[in-house]
Amino acid sequence: MSQIEAAAPKFKLTVSRDLTDVAYRLLAVALICIALSLVSDAFLTANNLLNVLRQASLVFFMASGLTLVILTGKIDLSIGATVGLSACVAATVIKSTGSPWLGAAAAIGVGSIVGLGNGLMVTKLRIPSFIATYGMLWVAQGATYYYMSGQSVYGFPTGFRALGSGYLFGIPIPIYLMVAFLVIGYFFTKRTTYGQQIYAIGANTVAARLSGIPVNSRLNLVFVLSGAMAGLASLIYLARLNSAEGDIGETLTLPTIAAVVIGGTSLFGGVGSLFGTFIGGLILTLILNGMNLLNLNANWQPLVTGLIVLLAVWLDMKTRSKTDSN
Amino acid sequence: MSEGALAQGMSVLGRVPGVAFVLVALIAVFASMSPGFSTAPNLTNILVQSSILLLLALPMTFIIMTEGLDLSIGAVLTLGSVVLAAVALATGSLTVGFIAALAIGLAFGLLNGWLIAWLDIPPFVTTLGTLGVAQGLCLVITDGTSIVGLPSGLQFFYSGYFLGIPFPLVIAAIAYAVMHGILYHTRLGTYVPALGGNREALRHAGVNDRVVLAVIYGIGGLMAGIAALLLTSRISSAHPTAAIGMEFDAIAAVAVGGTQFERGEGWLLGTLLGVITIGVLRNGLNLLAMPSSIQVICVGLLVIVALFFDGMRKAQE
Amino acid sequence: MKKAVLLISMLNVAGFVGPATAADETIAVFTKNQTNPFFESVRVGTANAAKAVGVKLIQYVPIKPDSIPEQTSQVEDAIVKKPNALLFIPVDYKAMVPAIEKVNAAGIPVTGLTDRLAGGQLVSFIGAEDYRLGLETGQSLLKAMGGKGNVVALEGVKGSISNTDRMKGFNDALKEFPNVKLLTTQPANYQRLQALQVMENIMQTHPQIDGVYTANDAMATGAVEAMAAANRKAFVVGINGSQEAIDLIKAGKMHATGSSDPFMQGCLGLLTTVRALRKMPVQKELMVTPVIIDSSNLKQYDVPVASRSCPKLEDVAAK
Repeated sequence: MSQIEAAAPKFKLTVSRDLTDVAYRLLAVALICIALSLVSDAFLTANNLLNVLRQASLVFFMASGLTLVILTGKIDLSIGATVGLSACVAATVIKSTGSPWLGAAAAIGVGSIVGLGNGLMVTKLRIPSFIATYGMLWVAQGATYYYMSGQSVYGFPTGFRALGSGYLFGIPIPIYLMVAFLVIGYFFTKRTTYGQQIYAIGANTVAARLSGIPVNSRLNLVFVLSGAMAGLASLIYLARLNSAEGDIGETLTLPTIAAVVIGGTSLFGGVGSLFGTFIGGLILTLILNGMNLLNLNANWQPLVTGLIVLLAVWLDMKTRSKTDSN
Repeated sequence: MSEGALAQGMSVLGRVPGVAFVLVALIAVFASMSPGFSTAPNLTNILVQSSILLLLALPMTFIIMTEGLDLSIGAVLTLGSVVLAAVALATGSLTVGFIAALAIGLAFGLLNGWLIAWLDIPPFVTTLGTLGVAQGLCLVITDGTSIVGLPSGLQFFYSGYFLGIPFPLVIAAIAYAVMHGILYHTRLGTYVPALGGNREALRHAGVNDRVVLAVIYGIGGLMAGIAALLLTSRISSAHPTAAIGMEFDAIAAVAVGGTQFERGEGWLLGTLLGVITIGVLRNGLNLLAMPSSIQVICVGLLVIVALFFDGMRKAQE
Repeated sequence: MKKAVLLISMLNVAGFVGPATAADETIAVFTKNQTNPFFESVRVGTANAAKAVGVKLIQYVPIKPDSIPEQTSQVEDAIVKKPNALLFIPVDYKAMVPAIEKVNAAGIPVTGLTDRLAGGQLVSFIGAEDYRLGLETGQSLLKAMGGKGNVVALEGVKGSISNTDRMKGFNDALKEFPNVKLLTTQPANYQRLQALQVMENIMQTHPQIDGVYTANDAMATGAVEAMAAANRKAFVVGINGSQEAIDLIKAGKMHATGSSDPFMQGCLGLLTTVRALRKMPVQKELMVTPVIIDSSNLKQYDVPVASRSCPKLEDVAAK
């Protein structure tokens, strides 16, 4: 009981912050959308909007687990490599057993194990999360290379493919999954003791420990969840692309971190929300979509992303210092 | 007397980061398993290969001691190389190109410092953003292709010798000496750990911590500019993704070398050892003809094992 | 024609052992990464040929895919190890020139493979003309479209020589078909996920796409999945002749893939290197003729890499 009380005042503060943060972000998304619809007829069509949401779902699954880690003030750099390893293991399991369920279990299992490894390195060996997960990045990557030995695995059952490319009532299935996890994630982070403890650890680890929160086991939990979500993301990847190869994870980590950061989650921990992360992923997806629709050179993409990261966080700092002084 | 010496010896041993043991172990293993390893040409080869990484890892040590981080340094190095090549090609002068590389490096360093110190944007995010900007500029300037046709004098800076010593080692040694001097023999150096350990106290003492931060990140950018000369010379060209990801190698070297991410505790010699350890590991695995996938795993394990040793020692204290 | 000769020689089971001097010859093989099946096929080809002629192989692969500084370091480390010869695919055909100049200076012979270096001394070069590959794959696509309609192109990594040549070939193929309209060319960096997303986005602005040209098979499969998910149909072509692409052609989901036979490149590269070491005559240049694999000749190429075999050492110079 006492730990909930300890976390409660902080909790209220983050909600009000979240609301303003999210409002600003929705405004930003609206502005981008208006701008894009003015310059391209194809943008504001139901098809394209569903397309953008479906693309954003992959980023969201990776970024949502990462958001929990970052809320505790830690970081997970191994996320892309975890997606790659889970995808490759799941792909071979599905191919050899023909069962998507076993494949799903393998993906989420592998992800969770990698996550647990990260968690234990941070909580038991006391290695800073940045370095522990960086080491894990290489280990997972190397394991993937070793496992795949330069080959690709492809061709999955139609039923499994529906997870990524199927439709239900005209809406792509990954979007339903994304919404479901958004709702579950909302309740988990905002309405359960676990969630509040995660925020409390990020806000002040020492205080959290003193107030009786089992900090280490919660940290292990968020790393495991991060790995499990990476495993889930790998399933969406497989179902959408119908193929797995060793280099899947190479380019995924930094954009995922960028999505969380653009979504307003503070790297110091304690501040942020899953919904913000959803919007962060949406903004990143909109950039690529807009560039493709306008036939712009994709070389500009990293530059634009970088500027948006800086702008988003700078605006956060401004609005937050205002709310704090009020 | 002997007891005192022993205690002193023990405390020195206690300060030796886990990486030193790892390094000794690696050298012993590789020397016994691979005849080519412990030859003078190969040891020189390892040091020369490590020079570029060292140029990034030295300022990274400062930055991490201030509880900061610079994710952009690899991209800034690449951008420096691209600018050096583009300017040298346009003006026909390597000197002008090099100055331009230093300028762009310094500019990005100061930009990082400004965003972090004045706008209060966390270092991780700031440099994640400037990483994107620098990488984007590389792609836009080159349109994705390598820049070649640079003056042949360029090759000297990586392959040439100065008084019989490979030139990159000369640069690396000077850089180490200068950074050592700054950290341990100047007032700026005393501010570095204080910025990480106790920023409030520094402010109360009347030190403008923002300026100090900007200077530290500026040094990082400048070193990236110098490293750009070595990199460009090494590949006789500039390529828009040549050093992408090297920031993480540099951070790993610093961490492996025993510098803490909190409380401003750091050790420059440890960073040197960290850089060399990574170089020895990669070289030794190559000489043993270890499959690439195993090499990838070994790099990860090195980081974890070195930090594990440090953690063990901390726990004992 | 050359292809046919090669196929016949493939039937010769590997295991034909060369001269007894072989045991102490070591050849260092450099490839770009350990993730692209193309290079795995090259490595299998080299290993297959090495076994047949009895030489030792060391495979060097950068641990970060296509990393220039890393391949440079690996070359420097290899010089320390003093192999008898290098068989070399540069991660970048310009940036790796200084490294090869060092190998030249160390007196170790180098055979070039797949991508032609812009400088340095090579004993011989074995590869495929990416320009012709792009041209013929493009022609195959545009013919299948009946010489009319809308086409989209997905590029690989900008600035890589393979991409430059493949795109040049495609653009020249386009000139032969004036009634085909090129809607857009977008980079997807040889990557599957990027190709999928870029294709999904392009489909939003272009309701009618009849053909898709991609500079490798990974992007082709991404494009195929994007079209299939949207219930749209187009002729899709890729390059590399990967097993995955062959299976997609078999299933009728892809039109064709241009192949430069990486397995054979690996065989020929290694055998040429060995010939030069043993003072047998070698050709300065040996090009694997591009083959366009489509439903008409599919069967011939639907053979797993592991069960193929290399030509004999004696036959290589005859090509």
